[in-house]
Amino acid sequence: MHAVYAFVSGPLAWLAFLLFFGGICYRLVRLLWEVNRTEKFIFSYMSWKYSLRSIGRWLIPFGTANWRLHPGLTVATFTFHICLLVTPVFLLSHVVLWDEAFDVSWWTLPDGVADVMTVLVIVCCAYFLIRRLVTPEVKFVTTASDFVILAIVAAPFITGFLAYHQWFAYPVMAIAHIVSGEIMLAAIPFTRLSHMIFSPLTRAYMGSEFGKVRHARDW
Amino acid sequence: MKGIACVAMAVLLGVGFFSVSAFSQEEMVVVDNRVFDAPQRPSSRFEHDAHNEAAEIEDCAVCHHVYDDDGVLVEDESSEDSSCSECHGIADEGRIPNLRKAYHRNCKGCHREQGAGPVLCGECHPW
Ligand code: HEC
Ligand code: HEC
Ligand code: HEC
Ligand code: HEC
Repeated sequence: MHAVYAFVSGPLAWLAFLLFFGGICYRLVRLLWEVNRTEKFIFSYMSWKYSLRSIGRWLIPFGTANWRLHPGLTVATFTFHICLLVTPVFLLSHVVLWDEAFDVSWWTLPDGVADVMTVLVIVCCAYFLIRRLVTPEVKFVTTASDFVILAIVAAPFITGFLAYHQWFAYPVMAIAHIVSGEIMLAAIPFTRLSHMIFSPLTRAYMGSEFGKVRHARDW
Repeated sequence: MKGIACVAMAVLLGVGFFSVSAFSQEEMVVVDNRVFDAPQRPSSRFEHDAHNEAAEIEDCAVCHHVYDDDGVLVEDESSEDSSCSECHGIADEGRIPNLRKAYHRNCKGCHREQGAGPVLCGECHPW
């Protein structure tokens, strides 16, 4: 038990963060390098103004025609992403550990609020799963990897919820939580979860092309 | 008559005995978390005497330490007459870790080093 904990909270945690940050840098450098090599002209029509205008627009719930077209999905998408990003960063338990390890700490969510946000992430994951299984047009474009990615993201939240409440198999659940979080971090740069870094760039590109070149809106 | 007197004596003695033990210092079974403004977790398990016996800690100053003004640990002196919170505040103060971190580094730190004793949140803070 101690050896396992020491391993997953030590070397494995370093490896996960290394793959996460290193992977993000690698993917970004690769992207810029490829664009520079094959479609250099893209840089010439990139614009901060139109990039930020488009990103800002798409960050507003129901701010775009596409968001308005699928209200259920829009609510789930926003709820999911906000809770997904905010909960782990501002979770008391995590900040306790940052403080212990590196003497840094910051504002935290009350545990009760974090608990509700965790449940929201899990509920949204269930919604995305059911949608993939029953909506014909979504089912049509779904492959096995979509389910794997959904599982990678849901796992840290499900295990975290169960570990926090200590409902069953507590030590096993706590270790499973740590490991599944590390798997998710490491997977982000190298799977379609990389949309975390790439979607703002795609949006910037679309915004710039529509705004600066076609003088149109991309929403 | 004699019998009743004996029973009365026994009861009185018993009551006296129990009330004395109830008012004397109770065995410490948790680290009181009421010194925190709004505790988020249940108090940590800690049966003071049994713990230190099982862990074979002889030196009280492993936990009840004393530092001089230069932050150097004072050997052969201990501070069990003060609570940790008298020196460790809610926020870090220079080299003095905040109370929560002081407990965690002290308790969990030793457990990790020795490979014995709880290291997971819920093992110390069970609901
Ligand atoms: C008389 C004041 C005093 C009391 C009481 C006290 N501490 Fe400390 N403690 C200090 C000071 C001062 C430092 C900083 C020492 C330095 O400069 O490095 C410190 C440092 C620490 C550290 C970090 C250094 C180390 O030893 O690992 C921990 C952990 C700690 N205290 C835990 C505790 C716990 C737990 C208690 C209660 C059982 C406690 N302290 C009671 C004054 C005190
Ligand atoms: C493993 C750490 C540890 C060791 C070793 C330890 N104590 Fe404590 N002790 C504590 C903690 C934690 C508290 C609670 C402090 C607080 O609430 O601020 C405490 C409280 C006390 C109290 C306060 C009375 C009470 O019950 O609330 C006394 C007295 C005391 N200890 C005496 C001793 C003596 C004497 C020794 C050595 C034989 C010793 N301790 C060894 C951790 C330790
Ligand atoms: C100097 C080392 C040391 C320090 C400091 C220490 N512990 Fe321990 N603790 C141990 C060891 C060793 C064990 C395992 C003892 C055994 O074999 O049962 C243990 C066991 C425990 C257990 C499990 C007991 C059980 O019934 O299973 C708890 C709970 C615990 N410690 C709480 C604490 C808390 C709370 C503190 C801080 C106030 C603390 N410990 C500080 C060494 C330490
Ligand atoms: C070895 C035992 C031990 C472990 C493991 C441990 N704690 Fe603690 N913790 C304590 C002690 C002792 C205190 C002092 C007050 C108390 O008894 O709760 C404390 C205090 C706290 C406090 C401040 C008081 C409060 O309730 O708001 C928080 C928050 C906390 N711990 C969270 C955690 C979290 C999160 C974890 C896991 C990442 C954790 N602890 C692991 C022993 C432990």
